[in-house]
Amino acid sequence: MASKVISSTIRRTLSKPHGVVFRRHHLSTAAAAATDYEDESIMMKGVRISGRPLYLDMQATTPIDPRVFDAMNDSGINEYGNPHSRTHLYGWEAENAVEVARIQVAKLIGASPKEIIFMSGATEANNTAVKGVMHFYKDTKKHVITTQTEHKCVLDSCRHLQQEGFEVTYLPVKTDGLVDLEMLREAIRPDTGLVSIMAVNNEIGVVQPMEEIGQICKEHNVPFHTDAAQAIGKIPVDVKKWNIGLMSMSAHKIYGPKGVGALFVRRRPRIRLEPLMNGGGQERGLRSGTAATQQILGFGAACDLAMKEMEYDEKWIKGLQERLLNGIREKLDGVVVNGSMESRYSGNLNLSFAYVEGESLLMGLKEVAVSSGSACTSASLEPSYVLRALGVDEDMAHTSIRFGIGRFTTKEEIDKAVELTVKQVVKLREMSPLYEMVKEGIDIKNIQWSQH
Amino acid sequence: MVSYRSEVVSICRALFRARRHQYPHYNLREYTKRRTLDGFRMNKKLTDQSKVNEAYAEAKAQLVVLERSVKLYSLYPPKTKNIMEF
Repeated sequence: MASKVISSTIRRTLSKPHGVVFRRHHLSTAAAAATDYEDESIMMKGVRISGRPLYLDMQATTPIDPRVFDAMNDSGINEYGNPHSRTHLYGWEAENAVEVARIQVAKLIGASPKEIIFMSGATEANNTAVKGVMHFYKDTKKHVITTQTEHKCVLDSCRHLQQEGFEVTYLPVKTDGLVDLEMLREAIRPDTGLVSIMAVNNEIGVVQPMEEIGQICKEHNVPFHTDAAQAIGKIPVDVKKWNIGLMSMSAHKIYGPKGVGALFVRRRPRIRLEPLMNGGGQERGLRSGTAATQQILGFGAACDLAMKEMEYDEKWIKGLQERLLNGIREKLDGVVVNGSMESRYSGNLNLSFAYVEGESLLMGLKEVAVSSGSACTSASLEPSYVLRALGVDEDMAHTSIRFGIGRFTTKEEIDKAVELTVKQVVKLREMSPLYEMVKEGIDIKNIQWSQH
Repeated sequence: MVSYRSEVVSICRALFRARRHQYPHYNLREYTKRRTLDGFRMNKKLTDQSKVNEAYAEAKAQLVVLERSVKLYSLYPPKTKNIMEF
């Protein structure tokens, strides 16, 4: 009887919804209160927060969906063979698993499984695409076109190519973040080897006019590469409709594991590239090395899930985005959305708050995990290059905050984020003399500041 | 015509009441609740028998995955509460 009571108490304690905290009853109440507080709160980098912050940074990475995690486990434990071993069951099983994942990824983007090459992530895929294509055609093609708002890995690969002697055109973007199609048309030369434009920008969330760009590239017969890491599984992607030659994908942006991605390389008409990883000729010779079976399975499962859930997630995330924007706009003025509001992925909201200092805003938002385009999140003192390319003023670029909404975000989290942001901005504006002057009607840009 | 009404109602009730169907993690718990409810609602109006059978089979498969997943995730609960749970 006693053992039953003991075992049921243990079961009850162990199955508590939150972390287990054993209260020490023999201490005095004050000391007990102090120890309990220390047990429950988090102290990191000199900041104390009372609990885990709410996660609104889905563009940086996403948590693994439990259904994806489940799909990885069985195979990871039992099918541990090398997929390139042709002589025994372990190799055959692992190869089957990788091929199943390949079909799942291909179905999501409307491609054939033979066109998918698994890599270690979108960064490797971008590097392979940009450097690989240009190195292959280096005798005839010397020119690359890309935009100023691309991901750092594409811009850095282009800089590397420039050092090798290629020419790169960095297309400017309009103030809403979209590429000007006429400028693209004019920039294409007979010796252009590649056009690289990302589908959904990771900082501001704008969706480029992919069909039109694909059409222009088809007319001029130039391969079209796109970094679609933020796009797949979120907006409908069709490589045939967009006329894409190369596409980089990443697993950890669509609720999959980190450390795996893929590159789509079109076979008809065939795009040739020089591989970055030389070795045993795996993955059609374009990426040698043992395939990371468990991660690849996770990627495939994530793509499969994303295809089924895309419509449902899109509806939910759109509702949350409107709730967030309207909630903030109701209580605050001087809020600017960076990037086009019409051509945008709804899970990315990049806001700038006028008359507020960026670093102090971030310091007050420690209970919300968001990202920003300001100096304190980058190593240098400059604000984000993407916002600078949009033509945003320095002071507005410093106070930009990027809210990332995803599948697992709840309405209560959005309400709490709105409440915390509004509270912090109001507090900072009350202290700001610039805001007082604006309230009195003085135009800040036309003030003659006197020198002391 | 096979009616699944009683089974569906019992699954629905079990999904929301049973501790073995609830993640210790705030976001996953809320998502599971919302998704299952919406999943049942979206399939409520199906009349084609083959589609009904398909939906029922899928629900049962998802239930197996959910139970296994919750068991695993409960072995690694978060060490501090989420801000939303205060």
